[in-house]
Amino acid sequence: MAKQAAEKQKNPPVPRRKLDKNYIKRYWQLYALLLLPIAYLLIFKYLPMRYIILAFKEYKLNTPLSKMPWANVKGQTDVFKYFKTAFGNADFRRALWNTVKLNLLDLVAGFPAPIIFALILNELPFKKFKKTVQTIAYMPHFLSWVIIANLCTQLFAPTDGRINSLLTKMGAETIPFLDDPAHWVGTYVGAGVWQNFGWGSIIYLAAIAGINTELYEAASVDGAGRFKKMWHITLPGIKPTIVVLLIMNLGYIMGGGFERPFAMKNNLVMNVAEVISTFVYKVGIQQLKISLTTAVGLFQSVVGLFFLLTANTISRKLGERGIW
Amino acid sequence: MKKKILSVVLASAMIFSLAACGNSTPAPAPETQAPAQTETATPAASSSTDTAAEPAAAEPAGPDARGMIDGKFAETRHISVELYDRNVDGGTEAGNNAWTQWIQQQMLDRYNVEVEFVTVSRWAESDDINNLLASQTAPDICYTYNYGAIQTYANMGGVIDLAPLLAENKDLVPSMFDWLGDELIYQDLDPSAGTLWAIEGKRNEICRINTFVRKDWLDTLGLKEPTNKAEFEEMLIAFRDNADTLLGADASKMVPYSISYDVGWRAATLIESFMDPDISDKEYYVNGYDDRKFTENGTKEAVRLLNKWYNMGLIWKDFAVHTGDDTSEDDMIKAGFVGAFTHNYDYPFRNGKDSINATLAAQYGDNAKFVAVNCFEDKNGGYNKYSYSNSGDRKVFFPATNDEPIASLCYLEFMSQASTVEYLQIGDEGVLHTIDPATGAVVLQAPDEAHHDWYQNSGKNIDMTINCNGLRLSTPELTTLSLAFSYSDVDPADVQHAIEVATLDAQVPPTPSVGDIAAETEGTDLAGKRDQTYDKAVIASEADFDSVWDAGMAEYLAAGGQAIMDERAAAWDATYSSDMLP
Repeated sequence: MAKQAAEKQKNPPVPRRKLDKNYIKRYWQLYALLLLPIAYLLIFKYLPMRYIILAFKEYKLNTPLSKMPWANVKGQTDVFKYFKTAFGNADFRRALWNTVKLNLLDLVAGFPAPIIFALILNELPFKKFKKTVQTIAYMPHFLSWVIIANLCTQLFAPTDGRINSLLTKMGAETIPFLDDPAHWVGTYVGAGVWQNFGWGSIIYLAAIAGINTELYEAASVDGAGRFKKMWHITLPGIKPTIVVLLIMNLGYIMGGGFERPFAMKNNLVMNVAEVISTFVYKVGIQQLKISLTTAVGLFQSVVGLFFLLTANTISRKLGERGIW
Repeated sequence: MKKKILSVVLASAMIFSLAACGNSTPAPAPETQAPAQTETATPAASSSTDTAAEPAAAEPAGPDARGMIDGKFAETRHISVELYDRNVDGGTEAGNNAWTQWIQQQMLDRYNVEVEFVTVSRWAESDDINNLLASQTAPDICYTYNYGAIQTYANMGGVIDLAPLLAENKDLVPSMFDWLGDELIYQDLDPSAGTLWAIEGKRNEICRINTFVRKDWLDTLGLKEPTNKAEFEEMLIAFRDNADTLLGADASKMVPYSISYDVGWRAATLIESFMDPDISDKEYYVNGYDDRKFTENGTKEAVRLLNKWYNMGLIWKDFAVHTGDDTSEDDMIKAGFVGAFTHNYDYPFRNGKDSINATLAAQYGDNAKFVAVNCFEDKNGGYNKYSYSNSGDRKVFFPATNDEPIASLCYLEFMSQASTVEYLQIGDEGVLHTIDPATGAVVLQAPDEAHHDWYQNSGKNIDMTINCNGLRLSTPELTTLSLAFSYSDVDPADVQHAIEVATLDAQVPPTPSVGDIAAETEGTDLAGKRDQTYDKAVIASEADFDSVWDAGMAEYLAAGGQAIMDERAAAWDATYSSDMLP
């Protein structure tokens, strides 16, 4: 109580009407700093959105956007032509299915990994050892996928790869990490987990650090062991963080990067490796089918938004904080 | 005094009007310049005396309708030109080196045209050009090997129709018409629409592909060079079974026959030997969209043989997982673990000291080398294979954003002159080449440290000589004579042998002119489907081979392969009355 009163004296409450003006005046440096990210969002995220209309038009070179004709089939206007083309295309449908499948597997394997890692790390008593492990675990995050894919080839190639040549020497059967579609999916998901679990754990470690230590002390007094404390204190403590990250991850279910599938694919596994981003690259960038791939991109974004909103609503209904 | 000036002007006008537009300033090699001048003077003289000389007499030094005075622009023009960047180890900056500066100086001296080079990655050229076109910043002169891409651009209004431009300015490009001829220049002319989106380039070396075997391994095992498939197979088995003798401690790394994920190319000699040598021009053309011979009628059997060899452990097991520009296979060949492979007819000789044969010789002695062999017999007992055609190489096009089409034509004229091409290919004597005293042949060499800026980032500067692929010296005789000497650090006799092997029974593919095929711009990844099928079929078990191949082929045809073949057949029938070219 006394604390609150002291604060009130320091920062006397301002009348509501004047609040905004005074705020901006008082913190103008902070607002100035905000201008840069806002400009970034406007220029790179919002302005390009006007080109979404290309999904409904026929793309022409050297023509202003407004002059490009509406999508048409032999002169008959059909603004949804490119959406129909996409869904009529077996390659696109396969890419769509693969995207969902790989992203779901990524979520199932990749989402809990940093949480578990953060929990384990949090229990480590030796500060130095903990720091070293943490640093080493971050490192893969800074490697580009081209390098990781090459590492995978060196390690997992059917006969020349380190692991398989070792297996052969020991007289064991080789494992088709890269050349069998099912195994390739495992390698793909595994490489993703390996790259990201260390980096992803940072935010959870930060959340764990914010948990009141008195809670742990009280639990110890009550006779709780390590696992009880983890289950009843640490996990509930970081639950809001977990939920927010889960919602954001669900927004990516239709998305996903380009480098990873592109660098890791090979001709033997294309049935499972072709995803929307590589399909868009092949057809849109390499063959200049801009309208078709804009339609695909728009579809992807709309589905992503749908997932995000749904997850957010469900989370709020369940009494958790959403992302807004 | 006035009279004197006038007479000097008139006299110089006459002299200049006699020379063709491109030849008004001396070229670096005067001895080869002379014939080019006499060749081109006649057609240009008649037109320029008609048009240019008359106004020049009445109104001294006035530019003509093109803004040119005596074949040179009155005001400096600016053009940009595409140039591949191969990012060569130990090379020079692609867009700025002694060669690009030489071209820039020549173009400025001859035409008063400033040239700016726009470099695009050799390995992602179409991606780069697509982006440049979409952002309206494409270079004024572009080139690509892929005609379908140009057709796609043209359909979107992105390319200048060259037909009217050439009709109006033919007098500006006499050397280009001399070098390429009407047939090549108008090869891509659409017979019905009359449009011309690109000018084909010319190949001056048509050898295409060879199979190579390790000569020293054959000697060690007391084997003869294989002359048919059965002997080739026996040789591979001998390599496999004698790995300990041949490789010692590295025996486990033995690869009897190496291919890459691009099976259609890296087994082309084998695949083409399964084709009917008497195939009609029409059938070749109908299946010709796919340059890996995927839909030809013998291909399946060729891949079945590869599949058998794969399952016998004769083929590199990991070929399919090394994709893109992964150099694992080259490294393996250079390290000496590979017994045989199929590739470009001159592949082991490329890159001087870094070439495969030079690397092997440095490690294992001069006997260690790859030699070319003809070992895949066709059904007639010959060695059926396809060379390149003279007609058709890179296709040059002007994007619609090109506002200097005439200056751009002057660049093509400059690049078509024998003297320009020769200088770009062999440079100065003593720096980039010497003359063989015995034969008089031109012997290429790498430039020394002091002349490093004259390093050729692409073999014989092929990326700069945009409408010429292959050695082109002052006379065809000298060119043929010098071909075997145009690789540094390898034995010319091996090169000569490879040329002979590649030429034996090689057919020149027909190059019909039937106009654009709309189905080829549909934007399906047919090449990907083809390569996937090739790769999966090679590694399948022998029992699964048929089902894997048939499923892949069906998917390829359904995804647009069949539509292309049908449209090609219809276009052929509409243009030609027989199945063979006239």
